[in-house]
Amino acid sequence: MAERRTIVIDPVTRIEGHSKITLHLDEQGRVEDARFHVTQFRGFEKFCEGRPFSEMPSLMARICGICPVSHLIASAKACDALLAVRIPPTADKLRRIFGLAQVVQSHALSLFHLSSPDLLLGMDADPAKSNLFGVLEKDPGLARDGIALRKFGQQIIERLGGKRIHPAWVVPGGVSDPLSQADRDAILQAIPEALAIAIRSIAWLKRTMEGFREEITSFGNFPSLFMGMVKGDGGLTFYDGKLRIVDASGRVLANSLDPALYFEYLGEKVEPWSYLKSAYYKAKGFPDGIYRVGPLARLNVSDVCGTQRADQELAEFHELQRTAVLSSFHYHQARLIEILYCVERLEQLLNDPEILSKHVRAIARPNALEGVGAAEAPRGTLFHHYKIDEQGLIRWANLIIATGQNNLAMNRSVLQVAQRYVQGDKLTHGMLNRVEAVIRAYDPCLSCSTHAVGQMALRVQLLGPDGSLLDEVARP
Amino acid sequence: MSRVLIIAYGNPLRCDDSVAWQAAEEIRRKVASAQAEIICVHQLTPELAEQVSRADSVIFLDASRNGEPGKVTCEPVSSRAADLHFWHNLTPGSLLALGAQLYGPAPRAFCVSLCGESFDHGETLSPAVIQGLPRLVARVDELVSQLANAGVLSSVPAV
Repeated sequence: MAERRTIVIDPVTRIEGHSKITLHLDEQGRVEDARFHVTQFRGFEKFCEGRPFSEMPSLMARICGICPVSHLIASAKACDALLAVRIPPTADKLRRIFGLAQVVQSHALSLFHLSSPDLLLGMDADPAKSNLFGVLEKDPGLARDGIALRKFGQQIIERLGGKRIHPAWVVPGGVSDPLSQADRDAILQAIPEALAIAIRSIAWLKRTMEGFREEITSFGNFPSLFMGMVKGDGGLTFYDGKLRIVDASGRVLANSLDPALYFEYLGEKVEPWSYLKSAYYKAKGFPDGIYRVGPLARLNVSDVCGTQRADQELAEFHELQRTAVLSSFHYHQARLIEILYCVERLEQLLNDPEILSKHVRAIARPNALEGVGAAEAPRGTLFHHYKIDEQGLIRWANLIIATGQNNLAMNRSVLQVAQRYVQGDKLTHGMLNRVEAVIRAYDPCLSCSTHAVGQMALRVQLLGPDGSLLDEVARP
Repeated sequence: MSRVLIIAYGNPLRCDDSVAWQAAEEIRRKVASAQAEIICVHQLTPELAEQVSRADSVIFLDASRNGEPGKVTCEPVSSRAADLHFWHNLTPGSLLALGAQLYGPAPRAFCVSLCGESFDHGETLSPAVIQGLPRLVARVDELVSQLANAGVLSSVPAV
């Protein structure tokens, strides 16, 4: 009788954080199960207990070096709820600018820095070339565009927040400093180039996708729910709005849900083999309540973007399928459309006549003992929920992170790709790279979701039922 | 006058890893801004490539892990495309290579390091690094003077 075997991909490369994938084979060497394990643990929810609530935005920003701004914003919004204040209109707009800049730089990192080797060189490319050097050789213009776009987002964050990583400019009640005219003008000056890059990159990706028809059909291409915040008119938003859930057919299943009551709609399940919790929509139960968040989901739940060029792209995106757009491969295109929207929206906000107002912070003492802040982070909906005591000290905190909400979908996607491409008796880099690439499409941020750093070399092991090593492939 | 870019990098919350940031503050006080531009970053990222390629010469300022704590070394850096495996944590050599590939010829570059002892969480320097810090600043000051005068570029020694 043939043996059952397990293939382990540890760690998964070109993602933010530490994880591994195990592929469980049946007696015929076919993949019968797959799991995406998150092997790092951070525990921010626990060690912030006892800290003054006013420290929370700065503390929470430390969760992640890629999207600290999203944590700052969600945390500050939770603190606004504790203060029970309405922040000044200019502070609201400045926070939006901050968040949009974050989306641009984070999406640029994901697409250009992490996934472009797959898209430009192909899934079967020599692993020694599937990196920055390979991209530079093949298309230096694309590499320059990626770097410029990320720099554009980072420089806005630096101008507003004082530094690129872990800025503490967003505070309970607003922001700590107004925008100067010099900074506003400098950012506006950089908009045309960023816009040109976004447009050029969308055109490049559309052409490139022609070569990935097979991957599009098997990269997380399955029915699921999609969730994201939308504005009152059903428009794309990153800063605030109500939650909308659509099903695989594109039908609106739930609308105008208050994000502050997320715990009524969303459940979290703990699996013994991962530090990453699995979120699900309670009304459908576990695991049928599987839903996706992030760029693909946001474009599936949004009727419009609200800016001219992005609206044209969104209309075309919705034409990809008569239903909701189901393939997770399309996260890449959704990401670029969101970049385009962000650049257009940044220009609108920076030209707002109120944007240079000096009134940017509301001062208050705590007026509520519980507060929830929600925002759309680059990777999806982000919730911060705090409870404080009469002295304003944190007694309880709960964070629901985008990557956790995509956990069920990532696992199902890995299984789908593995069943399509992996033959257990023969390991190739192309097969295994596709398994990793579908995870990259979600752009998971494991530092965020486990609330680490490490080696990014890849080692794949084929283990027998007794744990003995049958085969091994190592990547430099 | 030649334009020198000083990139101090490290994590200011990991004890001796912050020595480059602290040295940068001292160097700002000593070196005229017309002579050198100084930036402090956590790590070397691709976004620095264009700035690097515009400089006539670059000094990478870092804490090293290998060697005798407190010892200062100065070594020339050459462009190394072979190191370009990971996008957002580059080596000095790979950053030079990236700049050369995308924006123009690589500038002359040096890495001036001080060997650290403790890289634990914290904002304090170990005694050996506190003692070595003035030597690090003096070495960079000397190098800037030499590099800023393009006529003596060829005489800059590797230590």
